[in-house]
Amino acid sequence: MKLRQKNEGLVVGVEYKHTRFKILYAVIIFLLAVACLSAIIPIGWLFFAGFKEADEIFATPFKFFPDAFNLSKIAEVWKTVGFGKYFINTFVVMAGSVLSAVVLNGLLAYAVSVVKPIGHKLVYNLILASYMIPAVASLVPLYANIVSLGLKGYGIYLPLCLLYGANAYYFMMFKNYFDTIPRSLMEAARLDGANSLRVFFSVVLPLSKPIVGVISIFAMTASWADFLLPYLLLQDDKLATVMVKIYNLKSTMSQMSNFGIDKYLMALTISILPQILMFVIFQKQITGTNATSGVKG
Amino acid sequence: MVKTNDGLKKPSNFFQKAKLVIKKNWGGWAIMLPTLILFAYFVWAPLIENVSYSFYEIHRFKKTDFIWFENYKELFADPAFFSALKNTFLYAFWSILIGFLLPLILGLLLSEVIHFRGAFRCILYLPSIISGVSVMLMWVYILDGSRGSMLNAILSLFGKEPITVLANSNFVIPAIVLVMTWRGAGATVLIYLSALQTVDNALYEVARLDNANLFQRIWYVTIPSIKPTVKLLFILQIISVFQVFYEPMMLTAGGPDNASISLMYLCYKYSFIDKNPGVGSACGVILAIIIVSLSLVYFKLSKKEEA
Repeated sequence: MKLRQKNEGLVVGVEYKHTRFKILYAVIIFLLAVACLSAIIPIGWLFFAGFKEADEIFATPFKFFPDAFNLSKIAEVWKTVGFGKYFINTFVVMAGSVLSAVVLNGLLAYAVSVVKPIGHKLVYNLILASYMIPAVASLVPLYANIVSLGLKGYGIYLPLCLLYGANAYYFMMFKNYFDTIPRSLMEAARLDGANSLRVFFSVVLPLSKPIVGVISIFAMTASWADFLLPYLLLQDDKLATVMVKIYNLKSTMSQMSNFGIDKYLMALTISILPQILMFVIFQKQITGTNATSGVKG
Repeated sequence: MVKTNDGLKKPSNFFQKAKLVIKKNWGGWAIMLPTLILFAYFVWAPLIENVSYSFYEIHRFKKTDFIWFENYKELFADPAFFSALKNTFLYAFWSILIGFLLPLILGLLLSEVIHFRGAFRCILYLPSIISGVSVMLMWVYILDGSRGSMLNAILSLFGKEPITVLANSNFVIPAIVLVMTWRGAGATVLIYLSALQTVDNALYEVARLDNANLFQRIWYVTIPSIKPTVKLLFILQIISVFQVFYEPMMLTAGGPDNASISLMYLCYKYSFIDKNPGVGSACGVILAIIIVSLSLVYFKLSKKEEA
């Protein structure tokens, strides 16, 4: 697209005939480029620092790029930390979280938006009210309740996943979407003798692919990054998720032989790669909806 | 079981009425039940229980004795509480100074650009999608001076002495707010961008016909059009800054000497590091009261916007 054809916004095409507006446009591009550079330079520094030698990282004079790219270092760090196990753990929690986020919040939103049994308004208001109160303010009883369940081994993943089934933000997004689905299709299915549950799985969910996709992506990225409750609950190292491991690693690395800052920074890079990958794949959905459907707490 | 033709007959007494109501609604209730149980277990019960915890002596996360306001007394007697309260307001102050206008300006710039807009958007948003823990641990190595840092390595290029940002009680909060802004600005930019795209183009045209210069256009057209969004984001930012937690936990552990401790981190520290969850709950109650009051303002404003 040419500047001259721009017909919306503060400055339009005809005005770009003037030199001062051309300069202005160049300045805007420059400022945005600076902002983008400040956004990625820290991440880039982390990425390259992992490939440096430990004493090369903070050496003077400062160097951004490493002397050599030793790709086998990635495999070495992966093996030393034992990332495979923690990645599998995290993927298990992620799958459970996505499933409960979609099905459980979806069902409740469907009941409140479509089925509307007596009391649905009360439910809606209760959830809206709890939306305002920060969850961490009630961390102690939440933690105590989960611990008192006495779950052993991988069973402790169950509450971590189910927690995503009680998410006011996902519920609101589902409800707002279901409110826009035409009722005629659901009524047709009902006339064919399907019960409410059948209607949800065979009519509503297939019609709601965009919102199901968005909630899945949100739950996926959120559960990958989830830290506090997993950190408190997953004391056993073999149950740890990637984020819990990466935090614990910081205090245990001093006892590990031959594991310096460079390898720790490499481990940090490994821990954020899946998120960057998810973002690259789903960037349309992620940037699109976050902008239009409000802010996260 | 009595089989009646409920639907046709008008219910004559209370029981028949109740039966009708149940028959009509049980399906819906059954669908809601599993999720409602989860909400009760994970959200509502802990909220109420937290208030009760704050009035009890807690031993190994179990209530033992009802001790009235002893937990609150202990909390208010702790100088760390006032540090945390003061810091929380300092966080809010710095975050408004550093982090409030920046996304608005970037959003405005971005809405004017027609080249590379998609790329700019993605790159600006990138820091927001990376998990808090990894990002914070990364920033430790960028800022912290104890064993050398990227910042000091760069400063040495200009022949400057190394500085210890995170260990200096004057710099630590602005530094943490800078990290918060780096992380959160991209998401806010996108929200401003979508608000800016709804500004009525006819208003701009009128302003142009009136020979309004650029600043007049921004001041008289753009700003009034997106005012509701600006107001809401302002309050949302304060609410989220009041809950600042991961940054002090990962970057400074509240230090140096409680200079960066926040209310949320104090709750956590009491409950899980000092093993004194009763006082931790009391701190949680205080924090919840502050945030609920802020949220009420937010809801009032968003109601007004809808109307």
